Amino acid sequence: VVILVAAVVSLLFKDLLASVVTFALLSLLLTIVFFLLDAPDVAIAEASIGAALTTVIFVISVKLTRRREE
Amino acid sequence: MKTKIASFIAFLFFVGFLFVMILPSQYSIHLPGEPVRDDDVFKESGQGKTENVRTMDDYFLRNGQQETGSNNIVTSVVFDYRGFDTLGEGTVLFIAVSSISMLLYQFLKKKKESVVGPSGFSPEVSRIVSYAAFLLFPIIVIFGAYLVIHGHLSPGGGFQGGAVTASGTALLLVGMLITRKSYTTRKILGIFESLALVAFIGIGFAGLTTAFLYNFMATPDSFMNIMPFGPNNGDLTSAGTLPFISLAVGVEVFCGISIILVALYNMTKADKEEEKEVKEES
Repeated sequence: VVILVAAVVSLLFKDLLASVVTFALLSLLLTIVFFLLDAPDVAIAEASIGAALTTVIFVISVKLTRRREE
Repeated sequence: MKTKIASFIAFLFFVGFLFVMILPSQYSIHLPGEPVRDDDVFKESGQGKTENVRTMDDYFLRNGQQETGSNNIVTSVVFDYRGFDTLGEGTVLFIAVSSISMLLYQFLKKKKESVVGPSGFSPEVSRIVSYAAFLLFPIIVIFGAYLVIHGHLSPGGGFQGGAVTASGTALLLVGMLITRKSYTTRKILGIFESLALVAFIGIGFAGLTTAFLYNFMATPDSFMNIMPFGPNNGDLTSAGTLPFISLAVGVEVFCGISIILVALYNMTKADKEEEKEVKEES
């Protein structure tokens, strides 16, 4: 449920940086869910790619473009 | 209004599709946590039984450890049974990195080595951030290397380990520890990425007497011997070619994602410098 809330909130934010941070939170929660479902492989992949790498790439792209959504 | 109704109908379809997918799966596919359906066969024969195997995953679970010598069935599937698929994934990543380099070439060509920042700790970032990045980077690299090397024994593998190590690179970038010689960094990483992919394909061709990507080392009397069936501690020198393939994939993923990150980061720096130049001119 919290994951769904995070997903919806990250869609609704007008401030793109906040949206990116919420997206990282979503990935983190998803990692916990994967771990609880006995899939540590997927959990590790999700933690590194979802929570770390996509966040960095999104932050860089937000920096290169405008911060606010119109 | 029309679009709202349309999106609502699409949402209903989506939910209905999910239900349709979930309901029969309760009956036909086994639940998570109970991988093998008829446990009697599994217990009696112990190993290597191909009769009474109804589905693909049952076959992998029963014979995977024996055939590949890998304690981690996921890795044995990813790098052995579906090794060709993994090769395709590696190629996709390689193409992505190449295209990004091509796109950003115009931006990065101008300033080959022109970014002369201070080496070591930069004053532009907070001391706390850069010191934390400096201290955390070795730990992350060690964890990533452990994931790559122990991929056939514990959860992990090439892709996960490479991604974890690449997030260490991201940390270094955030801490502004890579400021000089970004061009050389990318070049070295590119060479290693290509080498890793070539090594993967080379390992595949080495087993070509039987089939492409055949696990030729997983035989009982060779150097890379296989393990006894069932839970065991596991040796590092097991599972035949799997550790090598895992290493190749790990290096490739790490270098590829690092190239992307460094290139994008330099884009932001280049933008800033251009702004500065414009201001100075005006």
